Amino acid sequence: MPEIFDASKKPKRVPAGVDRLVKSGKYKNHWGSLVVAPERVRFESQNDGEDIIMLGRRHFITNIGWIALICFAFFVPFFWNEFPLISDVNDNVHLSMTILWYTALVFYGLMSFLLWFYNVYIVTDERLIDVDFFGVLYKNINVTQIRKVEDVNYSQRGIWSSLFNYGDVVIQTASEQRSDEVFGTGGEASPFTFEAVGNPNEVVRIISELMEQEEEEEYEGRIR
Amino acid sequence: MSLSLIVGLMVKLLMFLLLIFAGVMVRQENLMDRVVNLPMGHSLRILVWVFLLMTFILTAIVVVA
Repeated sequence: MPEIFDASKKPKRVPAGVDRLVKSGKYKNHWGSLVVAPERVRFESQNDGEDIIMLGRRHFITNIGWIALICFAFFVPFFWNEFPLISDVNDNVHLSMTILWYTALVFYGLMSFLLWFYNVYIVTDERLIDVDFFGVLYKNINVTQIRKVEDVNYSQRGIWSSLFNYGDVVIQTASEQRSDEVFGTGGEASPFTFEAVGNPNEVVRIISELMEQEEEEEYEGRIR
Repeated sequence: MSLSLIVGLMVKLLMFLLLIFAGVMVRQENLMDRVVNLPMGHSLRILVWVFLLMTFILTAIVVVA
């Protein structure tokens, strides 16, 4: 029997908010806190035909703590002789200690950078993915369908978040479960809390538009 | 036992520990890159491998010294 109409083959609609952000060309930098329609990005469980709408991570300014610590720690070996006991060891051990100190510093910086860079959230046209790495040995990946999202909101607290325009986006899903109850991740309001993301208003707007689009598709019977 | 000997021994042990951590970091970066494949993931992989190599050389220097 010839196929007359197949709703699932309708072209995908891009939310107006995404289209506007893509045209503005502001959110294309892969190092940024918010990347809209990123190119050459894939994730582990990506389905065929699933498009990444948005990729984000914590705002760069949230790294200021460990960067300041490294800057401070850089100068510590200059004052080895001021510390009691350390001043009594010979020059060879002094040199070894300095090598150890700077190697540990580079390790700490690299690890902190990697954790910031790869702790991402991904919004596709079908799902939300929250990738959390804790330290070097533990990862936690939350995935939910957009149609299961019930509510999305964001909060900005403090001077820094207002100044640099970042905040926490909290997404409530149908099967709500506090992440710290299961994974011990420490007090997130929801498994889908995108912490300290840049431009949280845009993130919330895009997710809301995707929710509306998903509802329309469900109504039209085009759910994949 | 002199203080220099004890501190020297501790430094050598810590360098070994750091070398192990560097190896774990290389492995972890690999896993991170597999979970989220970003365009600059390859450059980061080279960076962590260079760090592992550098740590290995420095550990050898510290142990021999």
